[in-house]
Amino acid sequence: MTRPDPSDEPDPPGTQRRVKVGVGDLAVVTDGATLTTSGLGSCVAVALSDPAEGTNGLVHAMLPTARRSDLDAPRPAKYVDSGVQTLLDELREAGASIDRLEARLVGGAEMLDLTDAVGPRNVERAEETLSAAGVPVVATDVGGGVGRTVRVRGDGDVAVRAADGFERVL
Amino acid sequence: MRVDVRALGACNRLAERGAGRAADALAELTGTDLAVEVTGTSVASGTDLAEAFAGRESVGVSVGLRGGLEGEAVLAFDPVTADSLRSLLPGGESMERSAMTEAGNIALGGFLDGWANYLGRAIDMTPPRYVEADGAAILPDGARSGDGVFLFESRLDASHADLDFAIYMLPDSDRFRDLIVGRTAAGTAEAAGTTAETDGTTPHGTAGDGAADGGRAGGGHAGGHAGDASGGTAVPYDSLSTFASLAKRGSANAADNVAMMTGLETSVDVSRLRFVPLADVPATVGTEPHAGTVFELQGSPSGYLAILFPEAAAANVAATMLPTEPDEPLGETARTALCELGNVMTSGFIDGWANVLDTAISHSPPEFVHDIGASTVSPLVAQLSERQDYGFVIDAAIETEGVQAGCHVYALPDERELAAALERLSGA
Repeated sequence: MTRPDPSDEPDPPGTQRRVKVGVGDLAVVTDGATLTTSGLGSCVAVALSDPAEGTNGLVHAMLPTARRSDLDAPRPAKYVDSGVQTLLDELREAGASIDRLEARLVGGAEMLDLTDAVGPRNVERAEETLSAAGVPVVATDVGGGVGRTVRVRGDGDVAVRAADGFERVL
Repeated sequence: MRVDVRALGACNRLAERGAGRAADALAELTGTDLAVEVTGTSVASGTDLAEAFAGRESVGVSVGLRGGLEGEAVLAFDPVTADSLRSLLPGGESMERSAMTEAGNIALGGFLDGWANYLGRAIDMTPPRYVEADGAAILPDGARSGDGVFLFESRLDASHADLDFAIYMLPDSDRFRDLIVGRTAAGTAEAAGTTAETDGTTPHGTAGDGAADGGRAGGGHAGGHAGDASGGTAVPYDSLSTFASLAKRGSANAADNVAMMTGLETSVDVSRLRFVPLADVPATVGTEPHAGTVFELQGSPSGYLAILFPEAAAANVAATMLPTEPDEPLGETARTALCELGNVMTSGFIDGWANVLDTAISHSPPEFVHDIGASTVSPLVAQLSERQDYGFVIDAAIETEGVQAGCHVYALPDERELAAALERLSGA
C-alpha cells in the first residue's frame, strides 16, 4: 500500500509507448505499445489479445449491461457488454482474428458494503459476453476486496498489481 | 437563467473532445503521448477561483474568441512543464516564447474545432498572446470578477515527459447561455456525442493551420437534432450558485469538527462545485493509496460522500485522536478513530443542507476504506452511473496544521434529486 502506482510515473525516454485507458474507455494497439489502466475497484478490465498478430485491446467498464437507450451512447465502454462488443469490433478492424483472441479478466472487486455488489455482476457479464462471442477466457484475477492496476504488455500478457503490493502476471 | 444539466453535459463533452484534439496536436508537435485525464466544468465565484489558484504560477497562451462563441480561452502550464515543452518543440529552447505561443495556438485551435462544428458557426480566434501570471490571474478575463461563472477545465497527462497542462475557457455570450439552457444546436449529451464523433474525422491540422494564422477554427455544420429540454434536469442558475456557497459552508463546518476532535487548527483549503463526467471522478481522486470513510446520503438529494486521506495523513490524524501511539498505523483503533472523525465531518458537511433545501438528509454509518483512492470511489461512481453520466461533485480540500493530514471530501449527489431540491430552493 505504500508504493506509488508505477503507471502514473513518467516513463523514461526510449521505453515502449504506453497508452492509458480511463474509466469507461477502451483502446486497441498494434505496435507493441503497453496498455494500462489503474484504480480498478468494482469495475472490470477485459484485455483481449491476438498473439499472432500482435494486436491487443483493453476496456475498463463500470456497469454490466447497457440500457437500451444507451446503446448508441457516446461512451459504449461504460458498460461491460457494449464495451466488449465495441472492443471486438475495433480489434477486428485493426486486423485481429476473433478466432485467435484470448481474454484476460481483472477487477470486479467488492470494495464497499454500502453499495450493491456490482463487481461480481461485471465479471459475470464479461464472461457471458465473451462466451457468446466465442472468445476463451485464459486467465482471471477477479473479485476480493482490493483495488488493482493493470498493464497489458506487447506480448498480450497482463501484469496485475493489487493495492496491497501483490503482483502477478496473467 | 436556467441551466439544463444535460446540455451542460453536452458542453462538457465538447470540452473533453476538444481537449483531446489539443492533446493530439501537442503530441504531434512534441513527439510524445498525451492523454486527457479529466475535463470538468466549475461553477465558481471569483473569490472561489482566487482561493483555488492561490500560490500557483502559470505560463500560457491566451486567445480571444469571437463569432460562434465569445469569451477567452487559455492554455496554461506550470513554469517547469513549460520548460519541458520548450525543449521538445521544433527549434528547442532557443525559440522561447514564439514556439510556445505557436504550440499553444495550435492546441487551442484543436480545442475549439468541435465547438465550432457543434454550433454550426465558425469561431474566430484573436492572435495568440503569451502570458505569465500568478494565481487566478491566468484565468480568462472576467472569471475573477464574476459572481458565478462556468469555467471549463481539462487536465492532461503525458506518459514520457511532464507535459501536463490545463485549458480554461470562459465563454461569455448569449449564444453560450443558449447552449447551456439547451436551446442551441443539439441539447442532449447523446447528440453532442454524435456530432463530436463526426468532428473526429476533421483533420486537426486544418484547425491548427487556421489557428496559426490567427484565423478561424472549424466551422462545419451543427449535427444532431433540436434539443430535448429534458424536464427535471433544468436548474435555476442562482440556486446552483447558492448550492455552491452551501457546499463551501459545509466544508467549513467539517473542518471545524476536525479541529474539535483533534485539537489542531484545521481549515478549508479549496472547496469547489464541479460538473464532471462521473467516469472521470476516479481519476480526480488519483491512484495513490488512501484511507478514510465512505457514507451513503439518504433523503433528497441522496448520494454518497467520501472522506479520503492520503495513507500517511490518515495515520497522522488518527494518532492525534488516540491517547497512545497505536500498534499499527492504520490498525483497529486508528480505524475506529477515523470512523468517528468521518461521522462528525459528514454531519458538519451536510448540516444546513436540510434547512436551506427544505428537505431531510441523513447519512449511513461510516464504512472504513483503505485502498487505491480511485478504486475506493469506483463503486460509488458505478452506482450513480446507473442513472446519470454526469454529476455535480463537491470537492473540498481540508488541511490540518501541525501534522501532515490534509484530506479531500467528495460529495456525489444524485443529479435529478439535486435538481429537484434546487428547484424548490428557487421557488422558496
